[in-house]
Formats: sequence, C-alpha cells, structure tokens
Amino acid sequence: MKSTSKGILSTRRGFLKGSAAGALALGTGVNLFNINHAWSQDVTYDGAVFDGGGATLRIAEWGGFWQEIMRKELLDQFEKDFNCKIAYESSFPWFPKFVAGGPQKPPFALVNWNYGEMFKTASAGDFFTPLDEVVANLPNAKLIWPFATENGVGVTWSYSRYCYAYRTDLVDPKPANFKSFWEEKFAGKRGAYITSNGLQMDFFIAACKLFGKDQYDLEAGYEAMRKAMPMKISDFTGNMQTLLERGEVELAVQHDAEVYQQMDKGIKVAPMLWEEVKPILTQTKTVSRYIEPMEKKLAYALLNRTLETKLQSVMGSTFYQRPVNKDVVITENLASKGVTNTADSVAGYWTPDWKSYNENEEDIVETVNGIFAG
Amino acid sequence: MMREESAIPLVFKVIAGFALVVLLLPLVIVVLAGLNAGDYLTFPPQGLSLRWVKSFLSSPVFLSAYFYSFLLALCATLISTVVGTLAALYLARSSSKTSGAMRGFFMLPIVLPGVVLGLALYVFFTTTDIGLARTFPGLLICHVLVTCPFVIATVTASLVGFDISLEEAARSLGASPWTAFRKITLRIIAPGISAGCIFAFIVSFGQFETTLFLAVPNHEPLPMAMYISLRYKFEPTAAAAGIFAIALVVISTIVTSRLVSLRRVFKA
Amino acid sequence: MALAEGRTTTRIRKHGSIAEALGGFRLWWLVLPAFLFFLVFFIAPVMSLFALAFDKPVAGVVSFAGNLTLDNFARIFTRPLYYLAIVRSVGIAAVVAVIALAIGYPLAYVIAKTEHPGRNTLLMILVLSSMQLDTVIRMYGLMVLMGDQGLINGALMSIGLIEKPLPLMYNTFGVVVGLVQIALPFMILSLIGIIKAIHPSLEEAARSLGATRAEAFWRVTLPLSMPGILAGSLLVFALSVSSYVVPALMGGWKVMVLPIHIYQQIAETGRWQFGSAVAVVLFATSLMAVFIYHKAAVRSAGGRT
Repeated sequence: MKSTSKGILSTRRGFLKGSAAGALALGTGVNLFNINHAWSQDVTYDGAVFDGGGATLRIAEWGGFWQEIMRKELLDQFEKDFNCKIAYESSFPWFPKFVAGGPQKPPFALVNWNYGEMFKTASAGDFFTPLDEVVANLPNAKLIWPFATENGVGVTWSYSRYCYAYRTDLVDPKPANFKSFWEEKFAGKRGAYITSNGLQMDFFIAACKLFGKDQYDLEAGYEAMRKAMPMKISDFTGNMQTLLERGEVELAVQHDAEVYQQMDKGIKVAPMLWEEVKPILTQTKTVSRYIEPMEKKLAYALLNRTLETKLQSVMGSTFYQRPVNKDVVITENLASKGVTNTADSVAGYWTPDWKSYNENEEDIVETVNGIFAG
Repeated sequence: MMREESAIPLVFKVIAGFALVVLLLPLVIVVLAGLNAGDYLTFPPQGLSLRWVKSFLSSPVFLSAYFYSFLLALCATLISTVVGTLAALYLARSSSKTSGAMRGFFMLPIVLPGVVLGLALYVFFTTTDIGLARTFPGLLICHVLVTCPFVIATVTASLVGFDISLEEAARSLGASPWTAFRKITLRIIAPGISAGCIFAFIVSFGQFETTLFLAVPNHEPLPMAMYISLRYKFEPTAAAAGIFAIALVVISTIVTSRLVSLRRVFKA
Repeated sequence: MALAEGRTTTRIRKHGSIAEALGGFRLWWLVLPAFLFFLVFFIAPVMSLFALAFDKPVAGVVSFAGNLTLDNFARIFTRPLYYLAIVRSVGIAAVVAVIALAIGYPLAYVIAKTEHPGRNTLLMILVLSSMQLDTVIRMYGLMVLMGDQGLINGALMSIGLIEKPLPLMYNTFGVVVGLVQIALPFMILSLIGIIKAIHPSLEEAARSLGATRAEAFWRVTLPLSMPGILAGSLLVFALSVSSYVVPALMGGWKVMVLPIHIYQQIAETGRWQFGSAVAVVLFATSLMAVFIYHKAAVRSAGGRT
C-alpha cells in the first residue's frame, strides 16, 4: 500500500501546481486509476543522461548467463550513469505476477517477454504504457526496423528466426521445407515442445496455416500434430539441444540463434529456415503503466539504451541474436552463417494472431496434451 | 565391530550395492560432464579439465547464487529444526486423538506441488500487502513450510516407542528434569533431529518450483540459476555448480563426523 | 536454553510433579509455534487459492469472483486426460514408495550396522551427495544413461544383445526410475536412525530361541523398523506425487500426471481456477491415500507406529 498512497499524495501535489486537466479530473471525482494515468503521461524522456536520485528500477529479464551479460554490458554502467539501482528479477513467468497484483501494483517497470506471454498479459488488463507513448519517448526508436514495434504492445529489441535444426551427419537429404518434418524417416526422431513453450505455439499456428485454410484452422493443426507422432517432446530448448547433440532427435523445431551456437561449438547441426512463413522469436520489452514517474523515466532511458548499436552487437556476438537497429553491422559469428541486416532480409516476418491463440489456448493445450500423451 | 558387519546378510549387501549404483551413476555422469574440456554439456566428456569449474568460480551470478542458497538453507534449517522438533515432541507424546490428525496436517506442504504453494503464498503476500512478496523473509517462510515436515516426520519417528518411564526413572534417581531430558530423550531423538536437519537443508538448498514465484530480485537461488542456464544454454557450468553442491555435503559430513568423534575423544 | 526448559517443564507437567510450580506449561504449547505458523502461512494462503477452484474459469483472474460452479471439477472427472492422471499419479507414487523401500531398506541396514567410523561416514557421504545435486541436472545424468542413444542402450546394442533400443525412458518406467532416484535417499535417511536404535540383543535373543536369521529379521527387526518405514514411505509418496520436473523430463510428456497439469495451468496458461481444481483433487487424493496407508500400516504393525 505504501507506494500507492505515496502516489496519490505526490499526484495531488502535482495537480495543485496547476494542471488544468488534472484539477478537472480531481473535481469530478475520478478515481485513483485515472489520476495516476494523467500523472504518468507527464513523463518524457529526451535521450539525455539524468540523475535518478538513487531510485530503483525494477526489471524482469532472463537469468543465468543472460543476466551476467546484461549486467556487464549494460546495467552496471547504466546504474552509474543515471545514479539508480536496478532490481533484477529472473524468476519467470511474469504473467502470474502481474495479474496477482493488478495493473496498479505492477511488480516490475520494464519487462522482457516472448510474444505469447506478453499478449496474454496485455489482454488481462491495463498493465502497459501504450506503445505510441513509449516510442515517443525513445529517441533511438527512429533507428530501428518498423517490424520491431508492429506488434502493438512492446518494443522488440532483439530476435531470432524460427527454424528446424537437423543433424547434418544423420539427415540426408537435408529437409527441404516446413512439411519435411512429417517425413516418415523422422518418426520417433523428430522433436517438438510442450504447449507452454513459445516455439511450440508458433510451430502449431504455422502448422494450422500451412496444413489448413488459415492460421485459425485448429483442426488442421491438431491433425498435423497427430501425424507427427511418434515424436520426442521437450519442455525447453536447452533440453532439445542435448537431445539433438546425443542423436536422440535428428530434426527439431528450434530458433536459429541456438543452432548457430551449437554449430560453433562443434555439434553437427544446421538450421533449415522456413520460408513458407517467417515467424520470429522476439525479445520484446514493455514499460508498465502505473509506476512512479522517476521509475518510468528510468525505464525509458534503459530501453532507449538497449536499442543502441553497442548492445545490439553484443547480443549478436554472445547470444547469436539478430539486431533491430538498422545501423548494426552483423558480427562475424552471424555473418558467416549468412545472416544480414538489410531491409530485404527483415521483410515479411510473420506474427501470428496471438489474441486468437490465447482465446483458444485452453482447447489447444488440452487437445495437444492428449495427442502427445498418446 | 567386524562381527557386526559380517552379520549383515549377503542379500542385503547386494541390494545395498544396487541402491548405491542407482544413487550414484547419474552423479558420476554429471561430475564428469562438469569436468568436460569441451564446449558443451556432453557425455562422455571430450577430455577432462577444470575449465567449467573455473567458469563457475568466476561467474558472479552462479557464485552469489550458491552463497545465497546456502544462507537461505541455513536459516530455514535452523527454524525448521527448532519448531519442528518441538512439535514432534508433542505429537509423539500427546495421547490426545487430535495428534494423529495433526501429524497428517504437518505433512501437507510437501504433498502439494511446489508451484501451487509458491503461487498461493505470492497471492497471499500481494493481496494482504504485508510486504513479504519477493523478500527474503517471504522466501524463508516458504522454505520453512516445505522443510518443517521432514523434521517433524523424522523426529516423531525416532520418538515412537520411546518409553517415558526411562526419563522418569532417571528423575527418580535424582537427575534434574533438564538432565533427564538431555541424557535420555535428547540422546534418543538425536538421530531423528540430525536426519531432519539434513533433509531440511538439502530440500531448501534444492528448492526450485516454489521459488518461481517468491524469488527475491537481484538474488537468484542456485537451482533457479541452474535451471535457467540449462533452459537456455546447456553449458557445463551448471554441472560444475553441481560439483560444488556435492562438495558442500562432503565437507559438512566430514566435519560433523569429526566433531562427533572429537566429542567422543573428549569424553574418554 | 529457554526452549529446552520449555520441553522439560512440559514433561513434568504431564507426569504430574512440580509442573505447577514451574509456570503451568501445557504439552500443547510445544506444538503451538508450528501450528500457528502453518495456519497463517499455509492454510490461509492455500485455502484462499483453493477457493478459486469453485469459481468460473477465466484466464488471468486471481481473485475469488464468487461465480460458484463445479465446472472445473466436472471437467476433471469427465475427461480421461485428467481423471486418468489421478490414477497415474497415485499409482506411480505408490510404486515408487514400494521400490524405494525394497532397495532402500537394505542400504539403510548396511549403513546402520556399519560401525567403522570411516566407512560409515563414506556411506553417508555417498547417500547425501546424491541428494544434494540439483534435480534437473541429475535428470540430465539419468537421460544420458537411459535415452534411446544412452549408455545402457548403447552398451547392450554394441554387444549385440538387442537390435533396437529398449524403451527405458519417455514412458512410465523412466518416470518411476527418476522418482526412485530422487526419493531413495529420503527413505534411507528415515530408516537409518530407527534401525540403529534397535538393540542387536533383541535379534540375538530371537536367534538363541531357535529362530533362523531370516525369521529373526522378519519377526523382530522389521516390525521394530515400522516407524521409520512409515515415515520414509510417506515422505517418498509425498515427494513423488507432487513432482513436476521428473515426469516432465523423464516422461517426455507421455506420462501426464497431475502436477504437470497443475504446473501448466498455473505457471503458463494462467487459468488458475482450473489449476486450483486439479490441485484440490491431487491434495484430496493424496490425503486419502496417506490415510488408508496409515490405517493399514497401524494395523499391520499391531498399533505400533
């Protein structure tokens, strides 16, 4: 309750200082929700370094090595420059934490998502600052490809492409297209994921689209999953890496960043990028809506820095992630795999209709679980 | 001494050997994978080296996670052992009919999947606004809940069949109540308490699912760090971290057994 | 020391001597801290989450809306995906408890009877180390052993015993092995203390009265180990029935147990009403199983538990 009541107090002071709209809002007895809203719109960021006055910025992002690199390449310096503290949380999932507290008590200010969970959270309540408003406060937004903000909810700052990974020494000829996954020779040797994994969601929707009328043709998707059995089901990508590495699986749904990393470690795998549809696995950030002004300003500043070429290159060299910043020169480790950063190469990325997926998720999870369990 | 050991039936020795194999084979694989010289987690290792052990030791994330988990497990163990032992003393001695039900009651937290308990506590902390959500005390509360049942179970078991008249006899021979308790009861429940302590520490140190919702920002417990690293990059660092977790047990067991034998020496 | 004082006074009170003089402690004071702690931080939070199970399922809603319905339960008991999972969960946990007892008891016995301090410490270290290693990474070790291309299948195939890999994992067998691996140390540690406490002279007495070694064990040692067997198998059952990681990794999503459904509904899809309902079912079923087991155990042990 502490932060909320402080919010009201400082909010009132702000209004008394002379915001006509605010005074009107107060006068007409608008609830805390709207007052906070009016206040938070006052936050603007112009790209300059400022003094955060020791404030805390609460962020949520992946842990382990990811956290280590983020700290080293971005956050430690940011804390120094902006005189603030970053509270880094890595215990996913974020969705339950948001809905447990409601929009006015967001657990984090700046959150890194994959699409599925982000859209689910967005549709569960008024949690995020509208994207237009966020973009308006990011001077570096003019440097990024348009697709990075086309999802309408958050700012994509890094991504990789969905693909198949196959064992180059065990698979001959190499898979030709999306439907190669269903070839008889891969029975029991193909790998996909549990329904809660984002890779599986994209794979499933792509299967609906390519085997059926459109991406909403769930029956076609179910039929495709049925036909893919027997297959190995993994719950996360790291586990799939070991299955591939040990030859338990010869062809697996993957995203290309993982495959490139494995290639450079000497594992005999290669990616087969889908061309029929081109879904991407994104790292996308949202700024929470109802937070203290200073924290919001810091969130903008950090997000803005995330879009700079320096960090984008680091993401390429360490995690084999692709940049969204148009000016980034692709690092050698990715360039050698044929990855480019041109208007042509980023054209045609496909984002499934996540709203529809989430509405049908209950059925999809239940049906696909049933298929996998046999 | 030798007479005792030769008294163990052969079939027991054979099955015990098999049990050890079941327990230790995965361990050997992980340890070797942690000593791998190659770039990725694989078995058999591509040559042995301390590369990933060094990587663990130089990793701020893993190393601080290790110490954080250690501290958390220590606190949880202390609280659970005290609270749990007291409860067990009641459970084992109370003749009341409720004590049977109570015994079941204290087992409840481990019947529930961790993710349910974690979420329940998270929602509880958030909605009641008592400032425990994602704090050390909040996480500790959860760890006490999941470790206490182990202490209660083992201490209660060790007290079953304990004849209270032994203590009374000691008292009638002039021992003070405290001395009678210490010399008789405490000695009898000591193995139960130490087993409970060990359970509590290990369960807390390895607690993962409940932590999903209750982890404290900037402080990643070790199982979390390991899971995330395994989830995204199957790197041998996680296996190397496992080596250190094992080292912790080895060292603490040796230290305790030394202490015990020292005490014996001292007494003699 | 204050705590110990409390214990002592309590006992005196119970056995009616100088207790009143020492401040009227009652026996149940001992259990009070644990009981209150559990009431506030376990019963209250879990019951309010369980209340959701009787609410209409809506994604992402965490508060009790009061739209009372039994739809969630109807769903569980009408769809085989869920009701079979109940049977599977309890069945697997029971099998794991039996196996853990069968192979854990002899090891606990050996450890309890090994008096050489060095050897005893070594055995303890071996058991404890296996427990201490993180579950996920330990399952990795098991997968290396038991996968289709694993060490066991590889060895059997290379010596020509089998042509196709044996299905050692991605099935119920794999899950059971994984759970036994995880739960075994809990069984062993529950037993060691109890077996140690059984005086060797009891078994010797039985033998001097003409019992064979096996009879002496069966009639004397084993019944006296009952409290440890009971405690150990309850712990193993509880750990197994609530495990998510092991079925998820060793079962390859082919062995759908209740914790998998719970985990998915709660952590991923956000349908907490349904997730809570599955949790309620798991909870109730486990309690029932434990209750039945307890009754049976008490009877078979002749009231000695």
